Amino acid sequence: MLTLILKRILMALPVLFLVATLSFCLIRVVPGGPFDADKNLPDEIVANLKAKYNLDKPLPEQYVLYMQRLGRGDLGVSYKYVSRTVNDILLDAFPVSLVLGGLALALAVLVGVPLGAVAALGRGRWQDTLAMFLSTFGISVPGFVIGALFIYIFGIQLRILPVGLWESPWHMILPAITLAFSPAAYLARLTRASALEIVQKDWVRTAQAKGLSGSATVLKHIMRNSLVPVITVLGPLTAILITGSFVVEYIYAIPGMGRFFITAVMNRDYDLILGTTLIFAVLLIMANTFVDIAYQILDPRMRISD
Amino acid sequence: MLTGCGQGRARYTPDTLRVNIGNEPPGLDWHTATDSTSFDVVSNIMVGLTQYTPDVKCKPSCAKSWDISPDGRTYTFHLRDDVKWSDGKPVTAYDFEYAWTRLLSPETAASYAFFLYDVENAKEWNAGKLRDAARLGIKAVDAQTFKVTLKKPAAYFIYLTAFCASFPMRRDVVQKYGNRWTEAGNMVTNGPFTLQKWQHEYKIELAANPNFFEGAPGVKLIRMFMVPEQSTAFALYENDELDFIDNRSFATPDVERYRESPEYKNFPLLRESYLAFNVKKKPFDNVLVRRAFAMAIDKNVFPKILRRGERPADSFIPPALAGSAKDSGMPFDPDLAKRVLAQAGYKTGAEVPAIDLLYPNREDVRLIVEATQDQLKRNLGVRVNLVNQEWKVYLATVRKDAPPLFRNSWGADFPDPETFMNLFTSYNGNNDTKWSSPAYDALIETAETERDPVKRADMYRRADRIMCREACAIVPAFLATQNIMVKPWVKGIAMNPLDLQFFKTVTVK
Repeated sequence: MLTLILKRILMALPVLFLVATLSFCLIRVVPGGPFDADKNLPDEIVANLKAKYNLDKPLPEQYVLYMQRLGRGDLGVSYKYVSRTVNDILLDAFPVSLVLGGLALALAVLVGVPLGAVAALGRGRWQDTLAMFLSTFGISVPGFVIGALFIYIFGIQLRILPVGLWESPWHMILPAITLAFSPAAYLARLTRASALEIVQKDWVRTAQAKGLSGSATVLKHIMRNSLVPVITVLGPLTAILITGSFVVEYIYAIPGMGRFFITAVMNRDYDLILGTTLIFAVLLIMANTFVDIAYQILDPRMRISD
Repeated sequence: MLTGCGQGRARYTPDTLRVNIGNEPPGLDWHTATDSTSFDVVSNIMVGLTQYTPDVKCKPSCAKSWDISPDGRTYTFHLRDDVKWSDGKPVTAYDFEYAWTRLLSPETAASYAFFLYDVENAKEWNAGKLRDAARLGIKAVDAQTFKVTLKKPAAYFIYLTAFCASFPMRRDVVQKYGNRWTEAGNMVTNGPFTLQKWQHEYKIELAANPNFFEGAPGVKLIRMFMVPEQSTAFALYENDELDFIDNRSFATPDVERYRESPEYKNFPLLRESYLAFNVKKKPFDNVLVRRAFAMAIDKNVFPKILRRGERPADSFIPPALAGSAKDSGMPFDPDLAKRVLAQAGYKTGAEVPAIDLLYPNREDVRLIVEATQDQLKRNLGVRVNLVNQEWKVYLATVRKDAPPLFRNSWGADFPDPETFMNLFTSYNGNNDTKWSSPAYDALIETAETERDPVKRADMYRRADRIMCREACAIVPAFLATQNIMVKPWVKGIAMNPLDLQFFKTVTVK
């Protein structure tokens, strides 16, 4: 296991380097720059701004400077939020996204997986129809519609939950459910498909033939094995959920980091774009490492000899 | 107050004002801030030499009076001796001298440094060509006397002394905290409120400054939320979690629903939308074609589509400013438009090659350009293709090589026609039409230094007519409005056409 983790860390470095390099180049290809605004600035002032942020230097030099800073763990400065560093911005925003994303992830797993299991075990019956209706609904209706619907029903009509803001645990309920909706639906479909496949395996028949009880067969043999594809998607899903969602943060006015994935690009806030991209890459690599570890626990066939 | 359950709680807290500023202010350092969100906060925690009245005139503030030399180039401001910073120290002329020098310093890289380019040697100093600060036309004669020398008389200069970029600043605070000097706890200000809390991307809290020299403001606390989504902000208002909202919290259907409500108000801003021609590109290199297009557009449709009480614009200078005249622009006259187009060599509109109209990707702008496309088709028979680009791509395109026709808008920086009219001088970096007129340039340059207000207004009126009618470089479309909703327990909201929000007079009882 330790070897696996070490291997992953070693592999992560070139991946991150590549991500940083590619992002660095791509964002500079996009037309429009950080200091283009409604009101065009005099050349003297643009020159001062570029000098302040080293954007007057040749691109290769900018790249070297950026990589040197990155090596020190400094993600740079924001051009839009003038007096704040990218580290400050992400440090403020990430904990919020982590809490909200963590809640949503837990909800998605706790609702989605059992829903899929119920559907698979009751295949063709009403449980299946209901579960699949719910999950199709969850996948096809976008988050901003669900969010608006929740705000209207629970916030405006019933007035039992706040329509937005981030003040108390009460304020987390609607956004967490909104964020969890689509992944829960997706997990339900995945669990159902996987469980249906497992049900037909020989070892399940063996288990039933040797007289194991229904619940033991389901839990130990069917569910445990049908979780493998679920675990696979949980890796990227975790990274996506805990780095925040633009839509959910936007409609509920939550100060998370999901917004920066969109606004930093719109503002051509180069360092902030790179910062968010790198954080996402790091979290994705970490989550996938956990997935690999989980595989080994769930399925002995996947254990690599150390 | 803002807990989960809606029922049974008070609808508001006395002496606390809750507003929505929409987004995180990009920065509260008034030297590097350039946007209205930041200025909405700064305007409530700082005051300058002068301040705007609700009808956007300048009245004394930190300066109790000022003298202007006979040649109009030297301003001597006499400061009050009872204005204090929030830490108790007096506000002196040295704080202004430091602030203005810092604003202009190339290292600060302030976007709005150019507002002080009229000051002697300011541009050279800002460009790094001059390193001797003593040669700048900025001087604290003593603690109570601040002297500014301009390179030429500028009739609008006094307005700049009420503008955020020209506010005083504390050298010791900036040096002590560096970039973090604008964080709550570090910041030292001199206005009616002080920065008590700043939760980035979420909320700012301003506390009343009991020692403000004009007396403590009407509320003890302002909570400024940053709710970006209009419908959420509006729902918060409806649920009594916000006391005051404006355009940022208003979707058009909500305006419709509340138009008759006593809580609703609407007033024009000094922000004008217009259609611009690139006069170097065919077919708009021919002034007759430009005139024909201008006369084929009925501006009355824009307010009907946008439905926020916009006012059709007949001139580039808004009616609230000197020099505005109803007949500066082209009238709506489809028949004459067709005849003028025929004079230009196009017997029918169908003979004009299809025109690309570029606009930034925004819902309200899309509605405007679609209406324009329809008008030109209907009244002139011209085909117009709508081309949209993401905001920054649009800006880059217009600046580098503007298409034949594009939509743009301009908001006033200070309440003077100069802020609008300088835009279309041949040397202004924001003139994307490529139109240039020596007569226009000469009028603007003379008007800038003219001290007789009547003569000056007349010069701007003539220049406006040259641009919008004779040369027809742009087609003024409409003036934007501010729409606000105010809860009945909030009194004293004073709005102005510059769209600056001052909350010191507000009470919540």
